Amino acid sequence: MNLFRSTFLVSLILCFFLSSSYAETEEDTSTDLYVIEGKVFGWENSANSGWQLMTHVMANGGEHYGFLREDGTFAISNVPHGSYIVEVVNPNYAYEPIRVEINSKGKFRARKVNLIQTSQVIQVPYPLKMRPLAPFRYFQVREQWRVTDFLFNPMILMMIVPLLLVMVLPKLINDPETKKEMEQLNSLTNYNMPEMSELITSFLSGGEKQKQKPVKYSKVKTK
Amino acid sequence: MARTMGCDQLVRCLLVLFTLFNLSFCLYEDQVGKFDWKQSYVGKIKFATFDTTTNPKKIIVATEENVIAALNINSGLYDFIANYFYISMLFKLNTSIKLSIKFAGQLLWRRVLEKGYAGHIRAFGHANDKELVTVNGGVPAIVRYWNVATGHILNEWSLAEQNPDKIDSPFISYTTEGLYSSERIEDIQWYIKDGTLHHVLPVYNSGIEVSSYDCKTGEKLKSRKISAPFISPETECVLAAPNYVCLSGDSSLAILFYVNIFELKSEPQSITINTIFGAGTQGPYQISLVPGNTAAILISAENNRRKRLVQLEKEPILIPCDINGDNSVYIATIDNNKVVLETSYKNDVTTITTTELSTSTNPSTEKVAYVANNVLYKPSIAAIHCQPQSLKGKLCKYLLTNEDDSVSLLQQKVMWTREEALANIVAVEFVELPMSEREQAIETEFDRKERLDVNDSWNVASMLLRRLTSQANQIRAYFQATLGLEPKQSDRRADLVRDKFGLHKMIVVATKAGKLFGIESRRGEVIWQQRVPNLRVLSEDPDQMILYLQRGSRHYPHPPQCALLAADQRTGNGVIFTFNPMNGQPLSGGLQHLDHRIKQSMLLQDSIDGFLRGFIVLDEKDQVHVYPKTAATVVASQAGRTFIFTVDKTTGVLAGHSLAYSNEKKLAAHKVWEMVLPPKTQKIIHVVGKKSYERVHSQGRVLSDRSVLYKYVNPNLVVVVTQGVEGSQKNTLNLYLLDVVSGLMIFSLSHKRTKGPVHIVHSENWVVYSYFNEKSRRTELATLELYEGKMQSNDTAFSSLNNYKLPIVERQAYIFPASIESLQETITEKGITSKHILVALANGGVLELPWMLVDPRRPLNPDYREENVIPYMPELPIQMDRFINYNQSVYRVAGINTSPSGLESTCLVFVHGLDLFYSRVAPSKTFDVLKEDFDYYLIVIVLVALLCASYGTKKLASQKVQKQAWK
Repeated sequence: MNLFRSTFLVSLILCFFLSSSYAETEEDTSTDLYVIEGKVFGWENSANSGWQLMTHVMANGGEHYGFLREDGTFAISNVPHGSYIVEVVNPNYAYEPIRVEINSKGKFRARKVNLIQTSQVIQVPYPLKMRPLAPFRYFQVREQWRVTDFLFNPMILMMIVPLLLVMVLPKLINDPETKKEMEQLNSLTNYNMPEMSELITSFLSGGEKQKQKPVKYSKVKTK
Repeated sequence: MARTMGCDQLVRCLLVLFTLFNLSFCLYEDQVGKFDWKQSYVGKIKFATFDTTTNPKKIIVATEENVIAALNINSGLYDFIANYFYISMLFKLNTSIKLSIKFAGQLLWRRVLEKGYAGHIRAFGHANDKELVTVNGGVPAIVRYWNVATGHILNEWSLAEQNPDKIDSPFISYTTEGLYSSERIEDIQWYIKDGTLHHVLPVYNSGIEVSSYDCKTGEKLKSRKISAPFISPETECVLAAPNYVCLSGDSSLAILFYVNIFELKSEPQSITINTIFGAGTQGPYQISLVPGNTAAILISAENNRRKRLVQLEKEPILIPCDINGDNSVYIATIDNNKVVLETSYKNDVTTITTTELSTSTNPSTEKVAYVANNVLYKPSIAAIHCQPQSLKGKLCKYLLTNEDDSVSLLQQKVMWTREEALANIVAVEFVELPMSEREQAIETEFDRKERLDVNDSWNVASMLLRRLTSQANQIRAYFQATLGLEPKQSDRRADLVRDKFGLHKMIVVATKAGKLFGIESRRGEVIWQQRVPNLRVLSEDPDQMILYLQRGSRHYPHPPQCALLAADQRTGNGVIFTFNPMNGQPLSGGLQHLDHRIKQSMLLQDSIDGFLRGFIVLDEKDQVHVYPKTAATVVASQAGRTFIFTVDKTTGVLAGHSLAYSNEKKLAAHKVWEMVLPPKTQKIIHVVGKKSYERVHSQGRVLSDRSVLYKYVNPNLVVVVTQGVEGSQKNTLNLYLLDVVSGLMIFSLSHKRTKGPVHIVHSENWVVYSYFNEKSRRTELATLELYEGKMQSNDTAFSSLNNYKLPIVERQAYIFPASIESLQETITEKGITSKHILVALANGGVLELPWMLVDPRRPLNPDYREENVIPYMPELPIQMDRFINYNQSVYRVAGINTSPSGLESTCLVFVHGLDLFYSRVAPSKTFDVLKEDFDYYLIVIVLVALLCASYGTKKLASQKVQKQAWK
């Protein structure tokens, strides 16, 4: 076996000198090929949904594929040694990718993918066990009209607080004297300054109604 | 101090969150399928078998696109019901029936294997009734074992692994470690029978090595060597199991050798060619395997004009009748009778004739199918299924593959057809639909006015008269329309008209098979299809054909016009096909075969009479041709400002040509610059320009100190990407920004230890590209942005010839946590809307990535802030709600095409590959139309309530006043 390998190496070097393109194919195929194995777990209630059919496993973005057997196990065949990011492709559920490293002696190591700190190693067990992280949320939830949303709207709050001040506060004051004073103040202002709202209502109603005559009278008086 | 830091961080986080929140443009669940559609294809069929044991009855196919799929035999009843209700609302009944036929042959399941060489399906067959075997890939091959009914994989094994060392083999044992070179892989034959996979490897001048494996487990059953010294690189061999057949020699002395590979002590036998054809035939001879379940080969002589069949079950049986060279042959065993089916195609008529071989003394020929249907085009039988004793009763089902890549099921008539050419789209053009007929009637009025001499007939009376008559006509048309009496003026569909917002368009696509399609964008229905015979792509890798829209549909009564530029299959010379993009019918000249190749072409900016834009073609001798010829005056008048550049990927020569020395009679291209990227050190892999119809709205970018940084918007800028070829250069990508008018190198950079695939987007003043970083083993997305500086050299028009100042280049790279299949930018009519980048991922998603995230000015120092710029983060986030195709995965994306719609906010997106997907995106949200979920009711209710309240309070107020008056 060893002999074969060394002769092969020599031939390989020869090939390299002879023709680079030939050497390239030789180089690719001369190494041993490995199989990455693992198991993909379905999510809850996925038993009879045929999820294995919707799912496949992909190494290095589609260089190698693995397909799921009915029990969720998979095998990615014919991988030379190197580093592979193994991803589970499923349109409905997200899975965490795992980096699988195969050294030239055929030793496997699986670890978490960290694209930023590439030297950091957090090992995970091999053969791979891929469990779903979360369902994909592709859609935004449409806003629905709710009473609480409406009530806690700042505009509404701004309206309600002064309303409370105007309507409730006078009733809270039970002291008859202050009440009288207030009334006096009211009547005073009533006579001295025409109320804006009244002005508008009278303008809108156009003075058709008999009942409003006294008001008009008073207004004429003030004018 | 620490506290202020904390505050600062919080603010920053909030800022990021806020911007991200602002950027999330996503779909609502109820919008699914509202303006998007997806169609799935499998590609050109390579192998097919009928499967009638499992329910529903199906056809299993393996295709050139490395796909295995199951098609429903029945005419897609499920789809019919599903689509019926929807479509009947939209169209009239007859169209809905047409559609149901289109949906037939639906995919029951589909498995996409590896891309390219690694997934190449080499053998395919039933192991038993319920299980299927495929052999794919190169060296060593992967054998996969599938469940037919569901499409699950049952087992997968690789050939080499199961093969222990066998160094002492008499021939250099290629199979030991899968060490045959990739050229030899084509010589390997596979044979699947009764759950056993036979691997047949011919060894030159020696013999045949046959290894047999159990299909399911991969266990090696036996291996044997058969001596067959006749095999040499010159012989042409096929495996007609159990015989291995080789043809040696080309002349009349050619000999056919065959050897039974399953019998241990078989000796090579031979027949001379003259015993097959009789004396007097001439070479060159060719042999091919006859598809079907019976071993037979077809020998053709005299350049494919004569063909003879040789049956090779055990001993060769010669069938002494000639087969026409154009006909295709299929052989089947039906009721223990061997039957030859011959398919011929002439003038749109397909005929299938059968010849029973059992009565070999006097073969009776019978016509079993005669179909006059233009759906079929030079078909050949891929698979056949007959009910017992039904060939006579003509109840066979035939799966026909047509030369235009489509596949049809024939059972007396064509049951359904799948347009598999659409899996290989090479050119796409969006064309606006024409106006409705009523609007056209109004247009004709103005049209007539144009034709009259304005000076002569400019009197009030005649103008008034014309107005009155035309309005009377319109009123009549209106009443006719309302009463339903409108005479049908044309066969155009009523729904194929321009809509208010220009969202409904016709997508014209050209496919690699040379078939053109017109796809309506709302539902994805194929409106028309047109075959252009003997077409191939202009250049391969990437496959390229060119579609030019010469005249849009705005110029009534001139029909819209498109031109397809491709190459002739045999000569490689240019072919121009001019057609109407609305119905695919040829226009003015139709198909033109040129007597030169097309090296480069360019659509002219100015139109000739009839609003038609011509185009220039540069041939391989740098001669200029213009089509149509009448556009030569336009070219001559603009010659001083017209430049063409060419790129030769094999020699690495880039050159720029000027048309300045042209006149009307003689157009000439004059080389003004040339640059060589030596092919010994680097190979050009991409040349990307900008879209000619792109508009840039904002000239600059406002900085934090209120000054403006002006964009370098050079329409003549082209990105050239090369890959190092060997040695230390091997893993290097070089990128050049080149002004192709002046030949000025604007910028160049190189990435060490990187490799492809490279995808590039080039737009406005920026370039975004992706590559794989081998050092860190991740995909990265890099951006370049060009600025003129704080001063603009010329604010009205850009000129490459007067601008020597090199731009400021901002650059940045980001980690992209997925692999990219394709990149494209969104485009809108006026360029006001912000740009997004559409990224097709290998996992089937199409991601909408805001350009803001890849902005090279994202500051590394978070204290430095600019408006609309978020601090730098190395990894780009992939947010689930930015997938425009939600869970409708699209695989093997070949390209994304974008087109502006009539709305400034909206961009139309068409993704093609193995699947077609169409949708629309609004990068800055739909700011120009009311939101879809705009609450009309709420606004009505609020208004009504306010009205009521004002009336009520009026009454109350008056009462109050009255009370006070009484006091």
